This record gives sequence, C-alpha cells and structure tokens, in this order.
Amino acid sequence: MDEFYDAATRLNCQAIRDWQATERPIVGYTCSYTPGEIFHSVDILPVRLKGIETEGMEIGDTYYGPFICSFPKCLLQLAGKEKFMFLDGAIITPGCDGMRRLDECWRKAAEDYKGILPDFFYYFDVPHKSENHGMAWYIEELRILIKKIENHFNVKVTDDNLADAIKVYNQGRRMLQEIESLRYRDDVVVSGTDIFAATVAGTVMQREAYNQALRRWLEELKNRTTSLSAGKKRLMLIGSISDEIELFRMLEENNDAIVVGENLCFGIRHEGNEIDEHGDPVEALGRHYLQSSVCPRMYGKYKERLALLKQKLDAARVDGVVMQNIRFCDLHGAENSLFERDLEAMGMPCLKLEREYGPMIDVGRMKLRINAFLERLRV
Amino acid sequence: MSIVAGCDVGSLTSKAVIMKNKKIIASHLIKSKPRPKDSADAVMKAVLAQAGLTRGDIAHCTGTGYGRERIDFVDEVISEISCHGKGARWLLPTARTVIDIGGQDCKTMRIDRDGNISRFMTNDKCASGTGRFLEVMAKVLGVSIDELGKLSKQSVAPVTLASTCTVWAQADVIKFINSGIPVEDIGAGINTAMAGRVAILVNAVKPEEDIFMTGGVAKNIGVVSTLEKLIGKRIKKARKADPQMAGAIGAALLSWEKVNGNGLRN
Repeated sequence: MDEFYDAATRLNCQAIRDWQATERPIVGYTCSYTPGEIFHSVDILPVRLKGIETEGMEIGDTYYGPFICSFPKCLLQLAGKEKFMFLDGAIITPGCDGMRRLDECWRKAAEDYKGILPDFFYYFDVPHKSENHGMAWYIEELRILIKKIENHFNVKVTDDNLADAIKVYNQGRRMLQEIESLRYRDDVVVSGTDIFAATVAGTVMQREAYNQALRRWLEELKNRTTSLSAGKKRLMLIGSISDEIELFRMLEENNDAIVVGENLCFGIRHEGNEIDEHGDPVEALGRHYLQSSVCPRMYGKYKERLALLKQKLDAARVDGVVMQNIRFCDLHGAENSLFERDLEAMGMPCLKLEREYGPMIDVGRMKLRINAFLERLRV
Repeated sequence: MSIVAGCDVGSLTSKAVIMKNKKIIASHLIKSKPRPKDSADAVMKAVLAQAGLTRGDIAHCTGTGYGRERIDFVDEVISEISCHGKGARWLLPTARTVIDIGGQDCKTMRIDRDGNISRFMTNDKCASGTGRFLEVMAKVLGVSIDELGKLSKQSVAPVTLASTCTVWAQADVIKFINSGIPVEDIGAGINTAMAGRVAILVNAVKPEEDIFMTGGVAKNIGVVSTLEKLIGKRIKKARKADPQMAGAIGAALLSWEKVNGNGLRN
C-alpha cells in the first residue's frame, strides 16, 4: 500500500521521480475524459493533476476570481508555485466550466509567473453528448490530439501500440473491478480509504508498474479474513471531483462506518467497463470514454446515471449516501439534489455536504454533519 | 432509578443537566471558556454541586456540542443535532421540526415521534444566522442580547441590512447609528436579517408542525416573531425548561436510554 499512498498523496512522488530519471516526457491532464492509453502507447507518462498540497490561494484567486470551484483554482495555484514543473505537457479539458477556464487562466498567469506553462499546452475539447455527431466529434478530437502529440514529441501513435496500451489498461481495469467486488461481500476486508488511495495512485503511476502493484495487493486482499465492516454502517461517497484520501479517512476514522463504494471521477467508476480490444483502437477509446460516461457534464444522461448508482448501491448494500459538492460546483450541486430527491424516495438516506476543496477545510462542521448522519442511520 | 447527565459544550455557552427518571433534578449554564475541557469541567462541577451529587453518582453521561470530543469525563459523545432532536421532543412532545440557533451555527431538523432525526440541514456559508451574529450586533448597538430581542416590538420603521455577512452588516449598523436612526429600528432590522437567514434553512427541510425552537436565540422574541412571519407557521414555545438547555437535556435523555437498555445507540 505504501507506493499507492505515496503516489496518491504526494505531488513529487516516487513514481514521478522514477519516470523523470528515464528522461521520458510527462503530460498532465485534468479530466477523466482524457484517454491515458494514447500517451502510454508512446512512452509518455500521463499524470492526472491533483490539487493536493495547496497552501494558500493568492494565485488561484487572482486569475479566477472568488466565485468558482476551488479545485481548478488549486491546480492553478500549484502551477503558479512551480509544483508542476515536472510536466512536459498539459491537457486541459472542459470537464466543467471551471476546468475549461484553467486553459486561459494558466496561460494568463504564465505571463506573470514565467516558465510555469509546459511546452506542450493543449486544449482538448470534449462534447457534452455522446450520440451520433457527438461521438464523431469526440473521435475527431482524439485524432487531432494524437496528431498534436506526434508532432510535438516526435513520436508515432500506431494502431498496434494503441491496441497494446488498451490491453495494459484493461488488465488494471479488471483488477480494480475485482477489488470493487470485494466490497459487495457481507464482510468487507478492505477500507474505502485504501481502495481510493489505490485508485488515485493509478492516475499517476506508470501503468505496468501499477498493474504489478495492484496484482500483489489483490492477492493479499483475497487472503484477508478479518472483517472491517462488522457492526459498521456501509456508506457510499459521491459528488464533486475529489482526490482527497483524508475525506475517506474522516468518514471511516471513528470505526462507525466503512466506505463500500464511491462515485467520484478519481474513483473506480470509469474503470467498470473494459475497452474493446478489437477494431479501430481510436474508435474503441471514443466509445469507452464518451459513452460510459457517468459525469453530470453529459447532457440527457441523468436517468442512466441514477440507474447505475442504484445498481452500485444495491450491489454493495449501502446504508447511506454521502453527497459532497465543492462550493460553486453547479454540476454536482444540482445532480446531488436530484439524487437526494430520488434516492430518499427509494428509502436510501442521503447526506448533502457543501464544502471547499482543500486540505480538509471545514473539518469540524463536516464531522458534525457526518456524525449526525451516522446517528440517523443507527436508529 | 439511575441518575444520568448530559453536558453540552457550545461555542458561546456550556450547559449541563442531571436527570433522574427522565426528570431534571439540576441544570446549569455558564459562558464557555477558551478550552472546551475547562468549560465542561466547570459546568459539570456546578451542576453536581447544585444536585448535591458527585461524579460517582452519575450512571452515564453523554457529551455534545462543538467541544464534545474534548470532554474527558463523558461515557459517550453524540452530535448536537441528535441531542437537540431528543431534547426538543422532551420539551415539546408534539414537536416535529426543530430549529436550533447555536453560537456558531444554525440547524434545522425534522424529527420522528421518538425525537430521532429524519432530515436535517445546517448552515454552511458563514456566521450570519448564528448566535454569534446577534452577539456581535448587540455589542455594536450597546444593548444586551435580551434587550435586542425586545427592540423589534418597539420599532416603527425597521432598517434593512444590505448584507448578511456579519462583518458588512456590522458596518451597516454603525452607519445607521451614526445617521441617528433609532436603536429599536436598527435592532428590528438585525432580528429580521437573522430570521431571514434561518428561514432559508427552515424551508429547506420542508417543516412539519409543530415547530419548536431551541438554543439561546429561541428566547429572542424579535427573531422568533419575524421568523414566524417569514415561514408562515407558528413556532411553539415550551415552558417545561429553558430551550437553551435542549442539547444538554437531549444528551441526558440519550444517557437514560443507554442505561435503561432501550437506547437507540446500544
């Protein structure tokens, strides 16, 4: 677990230092709609940008203004503080409007903070619909992205390399799905905190190394017999973007609850479906990333997302859902309210938490609400 | 019959209640000290003295309030949300919605017939809508918290505070004082601003009657009457005990349930 925690909780982690030692490029990305397989296929390390280790917000606030989600502001703050200098490139995606604005805010900040803009700085557009022209558009965007990468890094993304990368990623997906299924048992042998750390680590570590570490961990988990769930309430954590291991730790620290599922974009949700290993690999990537979407940024998919969530809640026999949303995160703020309405009507207790992203801001008030929610569940 | 206690360490005041057979035999309230542990020790010492008991006589004690995790003599800690629900139900058995305005937060809850929470909301934006807001405003106005509540009834033309932010509202109040606006109109404006913030939370839990208010602000008639107008429903009063003691009463009741085996959290 140590390597997972290192990769998940430190910006300058061992996995990045090891890769830097090979003098091969690292490209950061901001959204789960960016296929890591493309980079992996040409020996570029894709690293999902995290907002951890942010101290202060003077740069983020200056270029963004105050009324916006604190996650992209943290990314800008870290960029301005030269915490992302290990990047050879960055891909900005319109996961939401706040994240879209990171493109222009980072460029603008780079006028004042020299050298913080990676040489390869690319805006990767992602449509909000996955049907027909939306899918054609996304696949076209993927092909343009590939061309840009080839030109900048002087590499060639071939169908064979891409197909191999898909196979490697699928191996990891299968193992994560196997780990996820361990949470469906009566006696859960692994904490939600550990699983989330392992999942977040996958957005940083080199994929073959990650798969090996995951394989070792999975074997160890299969041999565990001590239940961590006995007498505890089974929770699911959903909502706004979060890479915060501490959030899970806070839910589980009093030994009253165990997190048996999450629906977060750093979590396992995108790993559920494997990518088709046959046919055109770019089209296969397109189908996986755009169609298996569970993010509220996608139009017209609420019922699909509710059904998927309900399926996960049933499988993991969840007692209550904690819905967090970062202040000014309209997408999850709105969807959490819909989920709360529909899940409560089905008899599933829900707790909505509005909060700031950051090094566990609002801990006292959040704990109060979580404690009261768990007390409600215990009645 | 076992003697139980509840200790509620809030940000402004700390309260302790001792109960025997679900009846209060002693209660005490003090202004909170900087350290929650010191507040808890002081208020417990005072309430034990009042009852003529020692800590050894208490079969079970539940701690609550923002300082609940710093009280070292309690047997259990429970959130103030659950405690206020229990306490409110004891104070007013017909209560189904509880509004608690504490020193640093405001909570609204819907409770079932046993006083258990079925839905709750807490303010998570800022200090407006909290007891601290009133405390700051009363200080600027040069009146006590109790006097502030009574000002609404004497007001002819209440002012409107432009901001719900405590700091900016304070600036507004100073501006009104300097402009020679009567203190009762400013006070009424403060109570209205407070009620307006709380009404948002009350409506968010879809209140069912009877509605009951706990916490120190429940004694502020200006806020309560304005809030009634804003939500269009009556807020019932309880005469059984001081509503500010509701958290400590609820904590003691949870201790009683624990000791008597029908507790909700055994």
